[in-house]
Amino acid sequence: MAMVLAPEIPESGFSFENCKRNADLTKKGFAVPKATKTGTTIVGIIYKDGVILGADTRATEDTTVADKNCMKIHYLAANMYCCGAGTAADTEKTNAMIASQLELHRLNTNRVVPVVTANQMLRQYLFRYQGYIGAALILGGVDNTGPHIYSIFPHGSTDKLPYATMGSGSLAAMAVFESRWKPNLTEEEGKQVVRDAIAAGIFNDLGSGSNVDLCVIRKGSVDYLRTYDEANKKGVRQASYRYPKGTTAVLSTKVKNVVVEEVSVRHIEEMDTSS
Amino acid sequence: MALAEICGLQDFDTFSNEAPLQGDVFNYTKNFENNMNLGLPPFPKFTENLSHLSKDESGRELKIKFDHGTTTLGFQYQGGVVLAVDSRATGGDFIGSQTMKKIVEINDFLLGTLAGGAADCVYWDRVLAKQCRMYELRNRERISVAAASKLMANMVYNYKGMGLSMGMMIAGWDKRGPQLYYVDSEGTRTPGQVFSVGSGSIFAFGVLDAGYKWELKDDEAYELGRRAIYHATHRDAYSGGIVRVYHMKSTGWVHIDNNDCMDLHYKYQQQKEDSLNEV
Amino acid sequence: MSILTYNGSAMVAMKGDECVSIATDKRFGIQAHTVSMDFPKVFEMGPHLYLGLPGLATDIATVYEKLRFRKNLFELRENRQMSPQIFGAMVSNMLYEKRFGPFFVEPMIAGLHPQTFKPYICNMDLIGCRNEPVDFVTGGSASAQLFGMCESLWEPNMGPDDLFETTSQALVNAFDRDAISGWGATVYIIEKDKVTTRELKTRMD
Repeated sequence: MAMVLAPEIPESGFSFENCKRNADLTKKGFAVPKATKTGTTIVGIIYKDGVILGADTRATEDTTVADKNCMKIHYLAANMYCCGAGTAADTEKTNAMIASQLELHRLNTNRVVPVVTANQMLRQYLFRYQGYIGAALILGGVDNTGPHIYSIFPHGSTDKLPYATMGSGSLAAMAVFESRWKPNLTEEEGKQVVRDAIAAGIFNDLGSGSNVDLCVIRKGSVDYLRTYDEANKKGVRQASYRYPKGTTAVLSTKVKNVVVEEVSVRHIEEMDTSS
Repeated sequence: MALAEICGLQDFDTFSNEAPLQGDVFNYTKNFENNMNLGLPPFPKFTENLSHLSKDESGRELKIKFDHGTTTLGFQYQGGVVLAVDSRATGGDFIGSQTMKKIVEINDFLLGTLAGGAADCVYWDRVLAKQCRMYELRNRERISVAAASKLMANMVYNYKGMGLSMGMMIAGWDKRGPQLYYVDSEGTRTPGQVFSVGSGSIFAFGVLDAGYKWELKDDEAYELGRRAIYHATHRDAYSGGIVRVYHMKSTGWVHIDNNDCMDLHYKYQQQKEDSLNEV
Repeated sequence: MSILTYNGSAMVAMKGDECVSIATDKRFGIQAHTVSMDFPKVFEMGPHLYLGLPGLATDIATVYEKLRFRKNLFELRENRQMSPQIFGAMVSNMLYEKRFGPFFVEPMIAGLHPQTFKPYICNMDLIGCRNEPVDFVTGGSASAQLFGMCESLWEPNMGPDDLFETTSQALVNAFDRDAISGWGATVYIIEKDKVTTRELKTRMD
């Protein structure tokens, strides 16, 4: 018996309760709105000491740029990150869910999770949903067996590659890798190639834009380089269009005072996850 | 060379034959010579196939949204004919203009109102204005409203089912006195006392029918028209902007006034509050 | 025609210096027909936490009630206030649960952190993809117009008075170019010690 203080634990997984209503609405001619897509350039390479992941930062809703600086390189585990292209919500939530499962797996097995495990979990999850979860991913990480890059497609197929690109700007980025990637690049060379690949996507693909994010994963350390490069800087606005006070005609004003009696900050001790 | 000839490319190297291009230009600008001869789509049975043009090859909706949505009204009373219109032009949900002129002054004794496709209305009103002037020059007297409206109805009837969209009122004063006609792109043409046309017409009719009587004074008639349009702009999303009022008299049409809907709203609201406070 | 523009709405939230604003129009219509001019679309979820729900009116009501229930339950269980960030995560997760049969709302959140009073704004698409920019978020049927207004009007570090002026003008001028939103506007300016609610005088056509 469900009560307010002892509610039933709701069923996990997706809810389909609106589906019939929405299908009926669509039948009546009301188009279903488009979700935010990343419309992306994402890449990953293997270099001498590990892997480098790269991504642009544009999110689009149809033809509108919805987010000019979004994060497309998601955390999976301390030694693994994952770039997402496709439906933005899908990539974000899929990676968040796999990240928590990997953490549980690490605590259960008491060892650094190998990258193949993450790859297997992602592909099994995506295959189960037959491509309806629109996530195209590039998984990169370093484990006991060395550096790995996987590209994972929305239907659940995966490739293990030394260098990979995904998203609408993948062709532009791949052109850069095909001409300039070679085994055992140094970190500086690697970062430059990845930056140039993302920049190629930013400049030549309309779905990609704004900044370059990088993530360098070595054995035992990670550099998350948020806004590594602003590929094309926005011009500075010349004038200020600030309206003078009193421009807006106001019918009524209501002020509600918020009295802050006491502020107590409770720091929650971080869970001990070292092992 | 033989293959080229079979394909009709004999002049390919010289580019001397420009006739096909000229024919194209000629065929699509026939209405320069004859206003009633519009260029037709370059495929057969276009009345049935025109709807295919609204989607592209991948099935995506093509955004051919032309200006639509209006409230216009006109009524006859003892002092002549009053016309009142709003001034909003929309393309889809986007407001393209708040200052469009939806009453066309055809001549000193003829007015037309626009509703529906803005381009259709403006074009055919212009053609009508020319026809009316030609009639005047040929016959040494002004065209009757009945004749003018019939010209209009006949012109657009030639294009019935091809996508023209217009609903207009033609008001005038001729030998037989004040006249008011309704004409639309479906081919309807009908005289009447009270009309309202456009997406906001149901709201305008509500006010108009409640306040209309033949014996209205001039000022009362203007105010009735103004109020009806204002209330329509208030409730209808695709009407708004400025309320324009015209009066057709025995001496020709007179433009009464223009009022911004925002000013009207807060004026009427004030009047309502004042009347409530009166004992 | 999309379901999101069935009822019509315009909404914007902006970050200022130690303050945030959220503003909405007041129309509830059924396509071209304006039914009501006093329809709430921005809700007070806490002293410094406001939720805006532009989209389909029936889902606005449903989503608001669901969120109010979950937020109240959180506060009863945890005996602490929800920060806007946590609230945003909750909204996002709730929407993503319905990934294959979504609610037709694109929520936005504006608020101050209950302890640090740091400004926070975010919006998300109908399946909960969160966007947390440094400047402003827009939503509703007039969002394209709002993007244009905000990109040219917004400046960093605006005080509450400037923020009000900027937010109001952005909203009013945006929905004056949209047929299916407008008919009055409400602007909330959220500061540490007070929340000011102003009703604007706007075009009513």
